[in-house]
Amino acid sequence: MGTEGVQDLARIRKTLKELLVKDLSLEDITPEEIKDDEVLFGEGLGLDSLDAVEIVVILQRNFGLDVKDMENRKDIFYSIDSLARYVFESRKDSVSDG
Amino acid sequence: MPEKKRGNALGLWFFRISLRLFGLSGAYGLLYFVCLYYLLFDRRAVSSAMAYAERRFRTFNTFRKYYAVYRLFVSQGKNLIDRHYIISGLGRFDIELQGYDRIKSLFNDSRKGVILLTAHVGNWQVTMTALEKLGKKVYLLMSPEENAAVRNSLNIDEENEKVRIISPDNFLGGVVEIMKAIDEGDIVSIMGDRSYGHSTAEVNLMGEKAYFPYSAFSIAAAAGCPVVVLLTAKTATKKYFVDISCVIEPKLTSRARKREELAGYVQEYANALEKYSGTYPFQWFLFHDIWKDEGNKRRI
Repeated sequence: MGTEGVQDLARIRKTLKELLVKDLSLEDITPEEIKDDEVLFGEGLGLDSLDAVEIVVILQRNFGLDVKDMENRKDIFYSIDSLARYVFESRKDSVSDG
Repeated sequence: MPEKKRGNALGLWFFRISLRLFGLSGAYGLLYFVCLYYLLFDRRAVSSAMAYAERRFRTFNTFRKYYAVYRLFVSQGKNLIDRHYIISGLGRFDIELQGYDRIKSLFNDSRKGVILLTAHVGNWQVTMTALEKLGKKVYLLMSPEENAAVRNSLNIDEENEKVRIISPDNFLGGVVEIMKAIDEGDIVSIMGDRSYGHSTAEVNLMGEKAYFPYSAFSIAAAAGCPVVVLLTAKTATKKYFVDISCVIEPKLTSRARKREELAGYVQEYANALEKYSGTYPFQWFLFHDIWKDEGNKRRI
C-alpha cells in the first residue's frame, strides 16, 4: 500500500470514529479516544446488535456500500481498523470494476 | 434452560387419529380433557398463563381466573390442531384479511421491505400463508431448532424459496441478514411480545408496567421501513381473521430523543395488543410474565 493508500485509510478511520460517536450517541467517549484496533462488540467499545444496525446504515449512507456484500463477513465488524479496511478495499474494487 | 415441551408421541397420535376419524370437532373434543389435566397437574403451565389472566381478568375471582386459564389452554390447543389439519392436507381455513391494500401500497410506494411484527396471538403461522399473494419472501427471525412446529407448519425446508429463517444466534443477532432482506424489498417477521433476554422498552399494558423488545422499531427506523403489526384470531371453526391494518412508521427525529421515541412506538404496538385482547381475550397465548422486570441491561 502506497503513501496515498495509508493516508486514505487513516482518513476513513477518522471519519468512521466520528460517525460512530455521533450516530450511535456514544457517551463519555470522543472519536480521538477510540483506538484503531478496539473491539467494537461485546468487550472493548461494548456495542450490541442494535448498534450494528446503525453501523450498516453508516456504511451504506456514507460510503455507498451494499449490505448484501456484508453478509457472512463477520470479520468486517471486529474493529474500526477492520471496518476501515473493508471500506478501503470496497472502494478500490469499485474503481477497478468501473 | 430450554422450556419443557408438552405432549408425548402417544398423545399426539391420539389427536391425529381423532382428527382423521372425526374431523376438527372430534379432535377439539379431546382437548377439553387434556387441558383439564394440565390445569390440575401442570403447575408450571398454569403459573405461566396466570400472569396474563391476573391482568386481563382483573375483576374475576380465583375460580374464574383458573377457568380463564383453562379456556386459554383449550384455545391454544385448537390452534395447534388447526395447524396440523393444514399440514396434513385435510382441508383449508377461510381467511378474512384486513389491511391488505395498505400493505400492498407500502410495497408499491417503496422498494424497501417491511418488518412484520407478530405476537403470540391466534395462529400466526397458518395465517401467514395469507400473505403469499404479495409474492415476497418472508424471513422469520427465530432459531431453526427452537420451534420445529413452525418449520413444519410453514413447510420450511431447503426447497422453500418463499419462507426463510434468520437465526438470532447468527453474528450480531442476524442484523446484517435482516437489513439485507429489507433492502431487497422482502418481509422480515419478528415476534414482538417477548424479549428472550433482548433489550426492552417499558410500556403500559393493562394498567401496569410491562416490558417489550424494541429491536423491531430500532431496525425499522434505521432501515427506513415500516413496521406492520400482524394480529390473527380464530373466529369460527374453519375461519381466521388476520389484521395487518396497524402500520407504524418509526422515525427518530433526534439522537437525544431516540429512547423516548422508540418507547413511544413500542407503546403503540402494546396498545394494539391490548385492544386485541379486549376483543379476543382467550387468544393471546402469553405464557410468560412480561410484567416482571427481568433487569434487562438495556432498558429504555
